[in-house]
Amino acid sequence: MPESAVEVSENPLARMLRELAVPVVSVMLALGIGSLVMLVAGYDPLAAFAAMFKGAFGGGRQIGETLLRATPLMFTGLAVAYGFRAGLFNIGAEGQLFLGGLSAAWLGLVLAGLPQPFNIIMMLVAGAAIGAAWAFVPALLKAKVGAHEVITTMMFTYIGKYIVSWLVTGPLRAPGQIPQTVQLPAESTLPRMHEVFGFLAVSRVHFGFVVAVVLALFIWWVLKYTTLGYESRAVGYNPWASETGGISVSATTIKALCISGALAGLAGVTEVMGVHHRLFDQFSAGFGFTGIAVALLAKNNPIGVIVAAILFGALSAGSGTMQLEAEVPAKVIFIIQALIIFLVAAEQLARWIIGRTRRVRVEHAG
Amino acid sequence: MLADIISPDLFASAIRMATPIALAAIGGTICERAGVVNIALEGMMLFGAFMGVIGAMFTGSAWIGVLTAVVAGAALALVHAFASITLRTDQVVSGTAINILALGLTGFLMEVIFGHPGTTDPVTRLGPVFDFSGPQEGMFATAWRWFDVAVMSYTPLVYVAILLAIASHWALFNTRWGLRLRALGEHPRAADTVGINVIRGRYSAVIASGALAGMAGANLTLEQTGSFTEGMTNARGFIALAANIFGRWTPGGSYGASLLFGFADALQIKMQLLREIIKVPSQFFLMIPYVLTVVVLAGVVGRAVAPAAIGKPYEKG
Repeated sequence: MPESAVEVSENPLARMLRELAVPVVSVMLALGIGSLVMLVAGYDPLAAFAAMFKGAFGGGRQIGETLLRATPLMFTGLAVAYGFRAGLFNIGAEGQLFLGGLSAAWLGLVLAGLPQPFNIIMMLVAGAAIGAAWAFVPALLKAKVGAHEVITTMMFTYIGKYIVSWLVTGPLRAPGQIPQTVQLPAESTLPRMHEVFGFLAVSRVHFGFVVAVVLALFIWWVLKYTTLGYESRAVGYNPWASETGGISVSATTIKALCISGALAGLAGVTEVMGVHHRLFDQFSAGFGFTGIAVALLAKNNPIGVIVAAILFGALSAGSGTMQLEAEVPAKVIFIIQALIIFLVAAEQLARWIIGRTRRVRVEHAG
Repeated sequence: MLADIISPDLFASAIRMATPIALAAIGGTICERAGVVNIALEGMMLFGAFMGVIGAMFTGSAWIGVLTAVVAGAALALVHAFASITLRTDQVVSGTAINILALGLTGFLMEVIFGHPGTTDPVTRLGPVFDFSGPQEGMFATAWRWFDVAVMSYTPLVYVAILLAIASHWALFNTRWGLRLRALGEHPRAADTVGINVIRGRYSAVIASGALAGMAGANLTLEQTGSFTEGMTNARGFIALAANIFGRWTPGGSYGASLLFGFADALQIKMQLLREIIKVPSQFFLMIPYVLTVVVLAGVVGRAVAPAAIGKPYEKG
């Protein structure tokens, strides 16, 4: 294996750098290949990335927009990462997100007139619960009959989307031309960051961002220090050994996929409470699917998810400016996203490149 | 009303709707029999659907469009093969990357070529293979109508799918090719020992599955709709995987299971047309194929056995 070929000292800083090398090289390579795609299609990649950077980090408002777009990706990234840790691929985070959003859009109206902190807590808890519930049937099928969660959670995503589509065009539709639910009252929304902290620049980023960061730290703690987290990791690492060691694989599988669903559900809740203040059937820009890229780039580390989500948030926030100023279709970021997944997953490729550059450097030094 | 539902048209519609799922499912069967998981059927189908339209648009020939779609699906499959066989990447992760890549690439190229997102311009379609008329009246008229609509009314790839299902099913269990393919997925080391090139065998199986998924895409755009819409495959690639499992990893079984999904789809379309009579929101009909997939998986998976070496990269020892 290439790892043994690369000599590393065991001091923690060097180890961290080594851990970071693959993701960093992968992102750079993906941006490089993305540039080639733009060149071939007749665009100027330098102008495109300059515009993208300006749109993502050009000022307080832009940074706020980046963090705003990173918020749902942190939740879905955590959801997918938690599943991966337990050996489960929750490809259906998008569906759990839809159900979470639905619960918030409904409960927020029911709780109108009650104090805001109470509403926020109730809506977050309800959204997590329904997200978990939406993952429960696939989890049960996986644990009891071995039905692959990739297919079942994907099917539940479509079922969930149709339920939302039916409700927003029918029973929950607000009066007016556009199929959407009634706007939530202020006490059922998440405040924007600058409204609470006056020193921050005015932007759309809301308190869901703080919730996401705190939750990432919490999940990190759960995975590292609790029995629940230990069992999840053990089952993900080796289900047969875990079963022999007295851990119930099926119970752990069900718990892990439901926790994953709960995390994805929260993405939908915070999008509805913090951004749109209502529900319509296109309210998610595929956050559940981008969460897969976030989790893989973070190597399923919850702290890494924060960083990876901000990177993808920046790509998303910057892509609008890129389309406006460099006239490059914003969809190019999906190509970059797919390339990042490939390159991170095909670790050998990045390691081979890192190994080569190191060898070249050594040759030059010698 | 029942006569409206149970008719040769419904039967024909079921066969038509089953075709893209069946083509991809047979591809999935071949790929998984060789020991490689292919959850990228969805992306390959989508890319094939798009490139089919592009091929047909630039040449004016729907047949060249089909060829372009097949090559496009195979090209994405080559990426999957390189990642999962040569680089030994996790096959499910590589498949996911390809699905996202296909979504991004088709969306991006759509805007580059057509200047707008959404749906492409219409292109020429492939028409029905047979076209002749029979008795319109008399005692044979009903029988003829059934025969004409249920057997003779289809576009070329619908027949191709049926022939492929029969031929590949026979070949899988009766030829040296089939024996070797199954060996790759059951016990690659044993296959290697008796001189079968595992890497090359798996590469060709993955590429074949991509070609079939691409053809499934061509069926969607060049036979059914006549234009490409972003994300138009709507998880058919995943349903195809379920059909492959329900069909117990055999091409014939995959086709049969696809017929079930095709029938659900056809029924769904039919019921939507009758929504004046049946007062149920259309979304509930649209859900049917997805619900059916879950039900089928719940009922069958425990008893169906996957190839033993599925999902495991092969390392020459």
